[in-house]
Amino acid sequence: MAKIKIDKLPLARKERPGPSNRFGGFDVVLFIILLIFALLIIFPFYYLFVVSITPQEIYVNNPLTLWTPKITFDAYKSVFNDSRIWGGLKITLILLFGGTLYQMFFTVITGYALSRNNWVGKNFVMNMILVTMFFGGGLIPYYILIKTLGMINTIWVMIIPGAIDTFNMLLMRNYFASLPKELEESAKIDGANDVQIFVKIFLPLSLPMLATVGLFFAVGNWNSWYNGMLFNSSQNLKTLQQVLQDIVYTPSSGIPNPGKIRIDDESMKMAAIFFTIIPMMLFYPFLQRYFVKGIVVGAIKG
Amino acid sequence: MEKLLIKRKQSYAYSFKRRFSASKFLLLMIIPAIIYYAVFCYAPMYGVLIAFTKYSPKKGIMGSVTDNWIGFDNFKFIFNYPSFWTAFKNTLIIGSLKIIISFTSAILVALLINELRMRFFKKGVQIIVTFPHFLSWVVVASLFRLTLSETGGISYLVQQLGGQPLKFLSDGKLFLSLLFSSDVWKEAGWSSIIYIATMAGISTDLYEAANIDGASRIQKIWHVTLPGIRPTAILLLIMSVGGVLSAGFDQIYNLTGSLNNAIVLDSVQIIDVLIYQGTFGGGGLTMGQTTAIGLFKSLVGFILVITTDRIAKLCGERGII
Repeated sequence: MAKIKIDKLPLARKERPGPSNRFGGFDVVLFIILLIFALLIIFPFYYLFVVSITPQEIYVNNPLTLWTPKITFDAYKSVFNDSRIWGGLKITLILLFGGTLYQMFFTVITGYALSRNNWVGKNFVMNMILVTMFFGGGLIPYYILIKTLGMINTIWVMIIPGAIDTFNMLLMRNYFASLPKELEESAKIDGANDVQIFVKIFLPLSLPMLATVGLFFAVGNWNSWYNGMLFNSSQNLKTLQQVLQDIVYTPSSGIPNPGKIRIDDESMKMAAIFFTIIPMMLFYPFLQRYFVKGIVVGAIKG
Repeated sequence: MEKLLIKRKQSYAYSFKRRFSASKFLLLMIIPAIIYYAVFCYAPMYGVLIAFTKYSPKKGIMGSVTDNWIGFDNFKFIFNYPSFWTAFKNTLIIGSLKIIISFTSAILVALLINELRMRFFKKGVQIIVTFPHFLSWVVVASLFRLTLSETGGISYLVQQLGGQPLKFLSDGKLFLSLLFSSDVWKEAGWSSIIYIATMAGISTDLYEAANIDGASRIQKIWHVTLPGIRPTAILLLIMSVGGVLSAGFDQIYNLTGSLNNAIVLDSVQIIDVLIYQGTFGGGGLTMGQTTAIGLFKSLVGFILVITTDRIAKLCGERGII
């Protein structure tokens, strides 16, 4: 069976033959513009990292610290000593693993069912789902619903309402639909039942797309704060992002006080931000192609 | 003839039955989805009825509908409520500017990356510019707030060069520019991907023909690349029009530090902020009134999508509906 190569996406057009194919002034201009754009994106990360390892008194004298003469990990120490961070990390990790699995399960089976032809009521269900992409009840009825379901101030409110993401579900559906129909037919002739066809044939063939959708969900869960902010008020249900909000949005005094670690130090804020993005920074370069695959497939077929 | 019709009906009934039993497994699989969409999408749609009531939490939705029905009073109230029109105006301005800016910036980035001939640099740039999309607005807002704050590094640099401290977070107009620039910073790279993929699909024959005609690179971009991505661009534009009234609650909530920045909040008071504050932030609106605002927003968004779709179709483009 032909292996689906995910890294062979047609992202870069083949170099075209022609008289103007030499590296010229135009390319230099393009290069410089893109370089500036890339540097503008990198700059805040770089700046925040440098400040997070700079002693507070140096930062206060020169807020534009792009290079630190003295490295200190005090800010990280105060982040690690902050119980809120660990509490937030715990909730976020529950969402990351539990939530992602739960969402994957429901999204994938729905996508599979909608990718198969010829079952009673398929068009009706499909239209019912598509309508929700363009029209919704709004915040207040949703709030009342969550309240009626008794999910206020529980961790469930950050998991259960996310069962199916329509966009990801359509990604899965399109992928399943793109696999050859003969697979199903020949498996049936060999005596496989519906469950076996799904689990043993379609799921293994869809691993690249499962990875993409899983990653989309995982990122969403890592970044989750909105439902928590809206529905939960208890401190020990706060996600990492909510804890970050608490830390960063509290105004700092801006007064240097050497020797003592202050909770509201600028560098501590920056260390806290860095703490929440470091996993993404480590994994993203290697996973980028899966994300790209998802959006390309989704938009071309969806 | 009649016999044939009956036969066809019978065979239809037969095939219906057969199809039903043949698709038992699929029907079983779709049940959770039906329940999910019914509960989390359609129940709130039913809940919009409270926009026509004086909602009382004790009575619930049904009780409020039967006992406290007040017709269009909530709508009359919000249409006479000055803050609503301010919010509506802000939302339209911010929302449409955002659509225009993100639309053009995405195509611009895509063109730059597509035209660039250094493969290695291209890959690296793509990884860098798509990364911020995956950060939450909490993180992005924090980065911008700390980098651009009055006591932060950039402001310090400007002061060293003899300028005034930057007031991105305490000046309404500057804050708006922060809104747009952070949006481009976060999303332009990611949104460009879809255009880059479309550009890769443009037939090389067209470029070769242009080469033979002696077209310059700019001319090739203008006459081949841009027309090549037109259908995709229009599709994405129609899709984004529906969100014009959303205008980014996430972003505004975080850039104002949990809506705590009263100085700039006036200039970015959008409909979603009004609904949120009106209900949860002591804004003094009843749930019926904020639901009415929400319903109005949904309806206008829906109408906008349909209208844009029609216009696109009239202009000979492929629509979405």
